[in-house]
Amino acid sequence: MVRLITHNLLACHVKGCNTNNFPLEFRDVQIELREAEFNPEFLKGFMPKIEWKALVDAARQLGDTSLPLEQPEMLDDDFLKNLHHVLLEIHVEEGIMTCPNCKHDYPVLNGIPNMLLAEHEIG
Amino acid sequence: MAPKAVAPAVVDEDPQAYEDKNVHAIYDEIASHFSSTRYKPWPIIAAFMHSIATGWIGLDAGTGNGKYLPLPLDRPTDILTIGLDRSINLLRIARNAGDSSATREVVWGDVLGHGWRSGVFDYAISIATIHHLATHERRIQAVKRLLESVSPLHGRVLIYVWAIEQDELSKRQIPTGDGNSDRIGRDVVVPWVLSKKTAAAGKETLEGQVEQPVFNRYYHMFAKGELPGLVHEAAKDLGIQVGQRPMVLSDISTIRRGVEIVQDGWERSNHYVELRCWEISG
Ligand SMILES: [Zn+2]
Repeated sequence: MVRLITHNLLACHVKGCNTNNFPLEFRDVQIELREAEFNPEFLKGFMPKIEWKALVDAARQLGDTSLPLEQPEMLDDDFLKNLHHVLLEIHVEEGIMTCPNCKHDYPVLNGIPNMLLAEHEIG
Repeated sequence: MAPKAVAPAVVDEDPQAYEDKNVHAIYDEIASHFSSTRYKPWPIIAAFMHSIATGWIGLDAGTGNGKYLPLPLDRPTDILTIGLDRSINLLRIARNAGDSSATREVVWGDVLGHGWRSGVFDYAISIATIHHLATHERRIQAVKRLLESVSPLHGRVLIYVWAIEQDELSKRQIPTGDGNSDRIGRDVVVPWVLSKKTAAAGKETLEGQVEQPVFNRYYHMFAKGELPGLVHEAAKDLGIQVGQRPMVLSDISTIRRGVEIVQDGWERSNHYVELRCWEISG
């Protein structure tokens, strides 16, 4: 699955592509929404690891504008529910993720991102 | 069931090509039968997953059918484990591991890759995977990738590999060494006989008999001490000290990053190590 929680971790790893290799840009995506169990304690623990701007941008690309541009200090329930939805309930089933630096395409097929590289591309 | 014969192997070509043929292609063929035999997590792995703090995210490098992705069973939404594997057919099973209505996060990739932000994971596990890599250097590289994937401040890692020292119950006959020191381990192939049921979905002979294809998977069986040895070599390459976090700060003028071997043991025909990273800032 590529949910936005995973997308926020993935980076291009083509040989020599070490800067500006995150976040991968979505293109031609098909998404599905699936309910997931809300766990605010998980979200609070995960928040320090989020690259916030990348998450907000990716959510907006997929049509969700519920997150504020700045990560808020007050974590109220409304905010956490929006964050939960963005991170865990939007599934990218098909599409392409492109490296902003080297333009390598990582396809997503049947919900599985293909991060395999050919041997000569491996750093 | 007859004892499973384990035969010596010689890796005499490009290791990537060798693994493609003797590991990855086989797992794609046997995925559904293999998965049906792999459902119960080993106790030390279950305990490790149970000890992970709420809000942590982890990488399962070589997730196979994803049997560790639903752990810990009593509080499954407290942590999130992302499964990485080279076999697309195993990943299709891993996607719904443990509960057909649940969707797991899985990524098609190689354990020698690093397609994520460095240090972004809080923990990583690699169970029964590194022993499929065909050279010592590639096995070191895999350990380096695990150390690079987790947080330098608190990252935790658990690695399991197949041991030369086999459980009496495993019924496997292991070829004896060829004069090499035991620290080096042994390259072998282990036959996988596809079940009649899975094979029946394929072809039948003229007599109506179901042929049961045999696939010989490559393994490097680890000698005692070899796995912690890989950790030392990987850490050295990364400029990381191996040992406990120093208690007295005056001693550490030059030491910045370290990894502690928390456990180093043998369980049911496998060697394992548990690692914990530490970093001193300032
Ligand atoms: Zn790139």
